[in-house]
Amino acid sequence: MTRSLGIAALLLIALVLVPRAVAQTYLVVVGGIGGEPRYSRAFDEWCTTLVAAAGERLGVPQGQIVYLAAAPAGPPATDTSTKANVESVLTALAGRAEADASVFIVLVGHGSAVGGASRFHLPGPDITAQNFAALLDGFPTQQVVFVALSSASGGFVQALSGERRTIITATRSGFERNETVFPEYFVEAFAATGADTDKDERVSVLEAFNYARREVRRSYESNGQLLTEHALLDDNGDREGSTEPDAQAGDGAVASQLFLLGTPRVAAATVPGDSALVPLYEERTRLERAVAELRTRKERMTSEAYERELERLLLALARVSRAIREREGGPR
Amino acid sequence: MKTTRARSTLALACIAALTAMVAQPAGAQNDLAAARAAYLAGRYDDAIARFSRLAERQPEAAVSVRGLVQTLTEVGRYDRATRVARRFVEQNPTSSELWNALGETLVLQGRREDAEAAFAKAVAGGASDSLTARLNLAVLRYRQGDVARALRQFDSFIDVYNRSTELTSTQLTAVATAVRYLGVADWQLYEDALRAYDEASAADRDNFDAQLLVGDLFLEKYEGTEARQTFDAILARNPQHPRALLGLARTRRFAGGSEAMALVERSLEVNPSLVPARVFRASLLIEVDAYDEAAQEIDRALAVDPTSLEALAVLGAIEFLRGDAEGFWETRRRALALNPRFAEFYNTLAELSARNRLYHEAVRLASQAVGMDSTSWRGFGLLGINQLRIGSMRDGRANLETAFRGNPYDAWTKNTLDLLDTLEQYEERATRRFRLVIDAKEADLLSLYAGELAEDAYERLAARYDYSPPAPVRIEIYPHHADFSVRTVGLVGLGALGVSFGPVVAMDSPSARPAGSFHWGSTLWHEIAHTFHLGMSNHKVPRWFTEGLAVFEERRARTGWGDNVTPGFLVAYRDGRLLPVSELNNGFMRPAYPEQLGFSYYEASLVCELIERDHGPDALRRMLLAYRDGQSTDQVFRSVIATRLDDFDDHFDRYLRERFGDAIAALRSAASVDEHGTASRPNIARGASGNPDDYVAQLSMGRSLLDQGRASEAVPFLERAKELFPEYAGPAAPYWLLAAAYRTLGNTQRAVSELRTLTEINAGHYEAHLALAELLEAAGDHRGAAGVLDRAQYVYPLDMGVHRRLAALVAETGDWGLAIRERRAVLALGPVDQADAWYQLARAYLGGGDRAGARRAVLRALEIAPGFADAQDLLLELHDVPKNE
Repeated sequence: MTRSLGIAALLLIALVLVPRAVAQTYLVVVGGIGGEPRYSRAFDEWCTTLVAAAGERLGVPQGQIVYLAAAPAGPPATDTSTKANVESVLTALAGRAEADASVFIVLVGHGSAVGGASRFHLPGPDITAQNFAALLDGFPTQQVVFVALSSASGGFVQALSGERRTIITATRSGFERNETVFPEYFVEAFAATGADTDKDERVSVLEAFNYARREVRRSYESNGQLLTEHALLDDNGDREGSTEPDAQAGDGAVASQLFLLGTPRVAAATVPGDSALVPLYEERTRLERAVAELRTRKERMTSEAYERELERLLLALARVSRAIREREGGPR
Repeated sequence: MKTTRARSTLALACIAALTAMVAQPAGAQNDLAAARAAYLAGRYDDAIARFSRLAERQPEAAVSVRGLVQTLTEVGRYDRATRVARRFVEQNPTSSELWNALGETLVLQGRREDAEAAFAKAVAGGASDSLTARLNLAVLRYRQGDVARALRQFDSFIDVYNRSTELTSTQLTAVATAVRYLGVADWQLYEDALRAYDEASAADRDNFDAQLLVGDLFLEKYEGTEARQTFDAILARNPQHPRALLGLARTRRFAGGSEAMALVERSLEVNPSLVPARVFRASLLIEVDAYDEAAQEIDRALAVDPTSLEALAVLGAIEFLRGDAEGFWETRRRALALNPRFAEFYNTLAELSARNRLYHEAVRLASQAVGMDSTSWRGFGLLGINQLRIGSMRDGRANLETAFRGNPYDAWTKNTLDLLDTLEQYEERATRRFRLVIDAKEADLLSLYAGELAEDAYERLAARYDYSPPAPVRIEIYPHHADFSVRTVGLVGLGALGVSFGPVVAMDSPSARPAGSFHWGSTLWHEIAHTFHLGMSNHKVPRWFTEGLAVFEERRARTGWGDNVTPGFLVAYRDGRLLPVSELNNGFMRPAYPEQLGFSYYEASLVCELIERDHGPDALRRMLLAYRDGQSTDQVFRSVIATRLDDFDDHFDRYLRERFGDAIAALRSAASVDEHGTASRPNIARGASGNPDDYVAQLSMGRSLLDQGRASEAVPFLERAKELFPEYAGPAAPYWLLAAAYRTLGNTQRAVSELRTLTEINAGHYEAHLALAELLEAAGDHRGAAGVLDRAQYVYPLDMGVHRRLAALVAETGDWGLAIRERRAVLALGPVDQADAWYQLARAYLGGGDRAGARRAVLRALEIAPGFADAQDLLLELHDVPKNE
């Protein structure tokens, strides 16, 4: 107990020191016990890759990242991923996270399900979905992204689903017990290029999920294997995950607006003192919305009319975007 | 059965039999049991001797005489069996116990009227086997075409079953058989028949007849595994049982095994008068175009039973396939005189025609079968299957549905209907002469390559053969091998990669097998070549010749395509395990060992190569035309290349020795060579140093050293192995190992050289292509790397990374047509980053000067990602720059 409290205190210091202006995204990565060297190596590699991508590539402040490893060997691992430490870290974070913060919790390791209840294997006692349910109650106003990248993790959806919560699991039930490849691709979505499908220079949680889902399918197909893992995403609180979420309907809308990089494009791109940019931003936003709205009407329009209007809007958007880039001093 | 019934402990028939037994002295009972045991174990001579002694001692004891008749019948001594039975009924005028047995021996000899009279006496006399006699009477009527009356009589057996408290095993067998006949009108009765057969077997485990009939029923419904288990069970107790051996032979043919002929010949050794075995053997001979021998077999069958409808049907097929119209019509007249509703005459013709690739004829013949008998569900099935083979998809489906309604137990029909449901998910893409039918998930990708390749094949083959098959040719590409297998043979488990029915080609998609495991482009070319050969010869080309020619065409299509020589092939040749040309069809139809099929493909292709070398390119074309005109292979060789087949065998043998003599000599230590060209050797190092001219020794040593990381030491051994057998470029050939060694040693130039030669001989080596492209690209030869990756797409087109690499390389070299194809391939593979894929395609279109295509593609990119800066710039570029720039 004493040691756990110590961890929480350390984290508290780190959180307090982070400037308020960017203290919006927190990442807690929990590496599970591997059992075999190859699994231990893979879990640690995925965890460290994600931690590095979040910190170095996406700009999440180091003080807002915690990595609990099954066998920590120094940074970036913060400490051992015992159940007590996981509980301490999340409890401490719940007490300090801003009301509008985004909290990402990512589990990488083996899982199982007993009587339909999912659990995650840690050094010492396992941690269950019910344990996490109690811990997440500590984040009543924050956006929580809970990602269980373990086998037999499907049960986490039902246990944790709720308002302002996005739950991702590597499998759709507790019966999919085989080793999963979803974690490799989910981490890759943030660490490499290729997942930013809408080209807004950020990878949303939905984009990462879809990237990993498709790559998993491709991996199985190219190996001539039947797909034995079906990842789920739930972000509408209905306790039912979707294997193919869609931002336009059902699960996916919230996840499409959540980013590990916590800064919206407009705010980041604003050049202080250049008032001429404001109307350009507004126009760009208007045109983007118009394109989005046009797409919703596509099925009701003739293809010629749709193409014509699409091209008109996209041309206007391209001109505005180019003007913005020129004023911002970026490449034309 | 329709209703259940109560059982009692004893049946009347059993009581009668028991009484007969009890009436005999104890010694006689023991003798009878011994005779019976000998019969069941297949010690037929012993059984005959024992039964004969018993019959002599007690000529009035029906059970002994019946045993003797049964045994004599089993081994085909029908005359003697008839005499024994007739003597009994003459000497025992008050007993009706042997009339049925007598009738059965008469039926086997085609003496129907006498048999009918005998069965009638058994029934009238209330013999213990009178129920079997009733069945036999009904069967006779059925086989005479008096179907309605026969079905009424069969129907009465249901009442027998339902009203009896107990039936003997033999009686249950009779009931089951009657119900099986009724299944033609009510398919659910097949289940009842099966159940009754099971009851019969349970009641008497020595009742082999019931088990045989179950096996036949399974086979009739394409349940090969169950059928085999049934026949195996009988043969485990009686390895000599001629009808079980025949049943097993049928299951082996059904499964595509090579043992069918040997099994049926074993059957005929035991019973040389077994007409169904003669008929089956004849049908096997037809499959290898041995019509003369098949006709002789049918003559033997008809000598035993001149009324055998099945023998007449096969005889009709032989005459039909030979083009003997007069003989055919006479045989047809004979068969239909015996049974005017014998639709199986046409069904047999249709089936054997289809087995000889005469699919249009099969459709016509099956149509006549169903016209003759509207309940010939087999006829509807054959009609539907063969309509699908010639591309009549709608009619084929309709007839298969009719067949399924009448007999849903037919696995071929059911599987094919399921497949047709699957085909609804496929998309059709049309080219000038082809209609590509591809799973929707793969259609965008594969049509990029298959359409162009098919058209190229058509152009070149049409020019070579001076023949153009009717268009469109339908090409179906299956991502699941099981579906392809069902399309071809109605069941899963076929080992082939593709098939051509002439107007329809079906094949595995590259996604149906592990990456790089087969050259799908070469396979497609091969099947299209068959379409030409079948069309030119009116589907009369023998299998060996069209396969050889198709492989030969593969080799001429592109560098490195088609089969090439392997150590296994040469060792088989050296050991005399290849077939002479005159028997080469057997290598395809009934391979004697697993590798013989593959060896036969290559051997046949060498035959074609030799003929073209010696007689010019037109000789092969003229041979196809000679086959079209009905000539046999022997006649074709004599008329086209003025060579007797035997002489050609000798000539071909010399050709092989001249061409591969050095390699064969280098393989002298290869007692048994596996598919990788390796052999186990107790002492590799000693073998290599002492045998510098031994390919296997040198290769083994080189590989061993390479595996140990001693690349520079491995090189001399591998170079020597290559020198000894330079034609071989299989998966573990010296080229591949040398490339690895040279890469390890940093000698890129030599590695490139090895890989280049390897892929020029064996274009199916996917890994070698990727490795070669990588080395060429690194060396700055981007055009060369692009060429290699382009060729790799015909082995495995499903790797998105390879498409991206190729697209980038050809964009550098300005081959925008290829760049567009490759960017479309990337999109077809469903990349996560769709916007970027569309943008890259737009760039390729623009590079190729297709501004409209570029505009469409970039709009797709921006529709997905409106804020995509590069795509925005391209859109502005397309819009703002005047079109004439």
